Amino acid sequence: MSGNAYDIDIWGLLVALAMVAIAAGISELMRINIGKTLLWSACRALLQLCAMGFIIGYVIRANNVFLVFAVIAVMLVAAVQITLSRAKGVPKGLAGPVLLSLTITMLLMISLVTELVVRPHPWYAPQLVVPLTGMLLGNTVSALAVGLSRFYESMNERRDEIDTLLALGSTAWEAARPSIVSSIRLGLLPTTATLASCGIVTIPGMMAGQVIAGGDPLEAAKYQFVVFAAIAALTLVADSLIMAMVYRTCFTADDQYKPPEMR
Amino acid sequence: MSSTESVFTANGVTCIVPAQGESRTIFENLGFAIAPGEIVDLVGPSGSGKSSLLTAFARLNPHATGSFTLNGHDSGEFTPQQWRHEVAYLPQKPILPGDTVADAIRLPFTLVIRAGASGLGDQNDATNAAAATTAATSADADSAHTASAPHRIGKVGLGRKFIALFRNNDQQARKLLTDQKIRMTLDAMGCEDIDLARPPHDLSGGQAARVSLARTLLTEPKVLLADEVDAGLDDENAEKVADIMATAAAKGMAIIRIRHRPPDGRASHIVTLANGTLSEKAGEQA
Repeated sequence: MSGNAYDIDIWGLLVALAMVAIAAGISELMRINIGKTLLWSACRALLQLCAMGFIIGYVIRANNVFLVFAVIAVMLVAAVQITLSRAKGVPKGLAGPVLLSLTITMLLMISLVTELVVRPHPWYAPQLVVPLTGMLLGNTVSALAVGLSRFYESMNERRDEIDTLLALGSTAWEAARPSIVSSIRLGLLPTTATLASCGIVTIPGMMAGQVIAGGDPLEAAKYQFVVFAAIAALTLVADSLIMAMVYRTCFTADDQYKPPEMR
Repeated sequence: MSSTESVFTANGVTCIVPAQGESRTIFENLGFAIAPGEIVDLVGPSGSGKSSLLTAFARLNPHATGSFTLNGHDSGEFTPQQWRHEVAYLPQKPILPGDTVADAIRLPFTLVIRAGASGLGDQNDATNAAAATTAATSADADSAHTASAPHRIGKVGLGRKFIALFRNNDQQARKLLTDQKIRMTLDAMGCEDIDLARPPHDLSGGQAARVSLARTLLTEPKVLLADEVDAGLDDENAEKVADIMATAAAKGMAIIRIRHRPPDGRASHIVTLANGTLSEKAGEQA
């Protein structure tokens, strides 16, 4: 832990907060009425990030495998809660499937990216595993929330079509398939867009961080690519898994369409 | 009507729908039977549950219970897909997904129940396709065929589902139901006016209703449950639809029609559903 090449002192934080405060003040003058929310969110972000910094710092210093996985478990639970609160119009009781699909993708991430590609010592190296899990969860949470919302919305819109398909002898899976495909596509859209635009329009956060901290930009680029590729692939896996687990909630045991009020 | 000569029977059919926290009984303990080649008209006031009864027959109604038989076999012996393959519900609203009319008509043949395992798995087995074609085209398939070897298609493994997610059975369906066969069938039904290459949403209401009917008839069910398919059609189109169904009935298909129009003389008898009871005017010529 050599720290950043250029550290930020307390005045730096105050300048950043002041910028938000000025922007908030202007928005109040313009009667956009977003100033309070903006300022409040900024303060929240500062606190949350500092807390995260302290916790990760502690976990790295402690270098204990159980502590690493305890932190990851907390992140997973929070991710489930955020996914479900962001997904609109989904039935109750999806916490289990969401947790399962996030856990599976998280384990795949750790075993493939960490142990196969980076191979750190010790194998559970906290400064690698915790941030990687965070980045993966950040992406899969929004993909799952968008995917789930879209899936149920589509199943409601396609009600007549689904009834027709079932009447023609389709399985529940066949009747749900168009909704599943469209929701996975929509959930993956931001991921593919990021992949295509990075390096031209944007310098991704992780790579920017390494460069600012004085790392070799090419090394940083390689790291970034591995992480992006893994996240893209695993987001697809997470979305497909969750769809396979939840599509049945729209059908009865006899493969009948279950309207929203019965789910 | 004795159940020995019936192709389809229903007993103890009850439909209870939840309404504002409590439940409302639409009908209770209804019985029904129909013989091959019969056309039965189901009439009754709006909201009496005619559609609910037909969807219950096709095991599509989550609020309905009852015991059903097809050629003496209990519905429990069939998967839902196998049952609906034989007891086909035709919704009032024609839903025709696909880029062309031909695609819309071929839709049932893209489904696992007809395209078979070869459409889902990796092997594109020609014999399998041929067998499926025979099954789909033999109008006089006996009850033994229906009940024998019911391999349970409803339960496909997760891995196969993932493969199936990214493939479609269009090729398979094109083999099972060629454009020529669709054309011949439509022409035989008096639908020369319908262009197969057109997008389905270009069809007029009457044409869409006939295409929807043709699609279900091509799957050759033993029982057709037609839910007011002639509603909203002009007299000429309603007549055409009735003719098509009469032809199918003449070949042995049992047909139950929900109708609001005056009797057209094609029904063997008329059954009325009102206040939760079915009253049958057996023998009365409609």
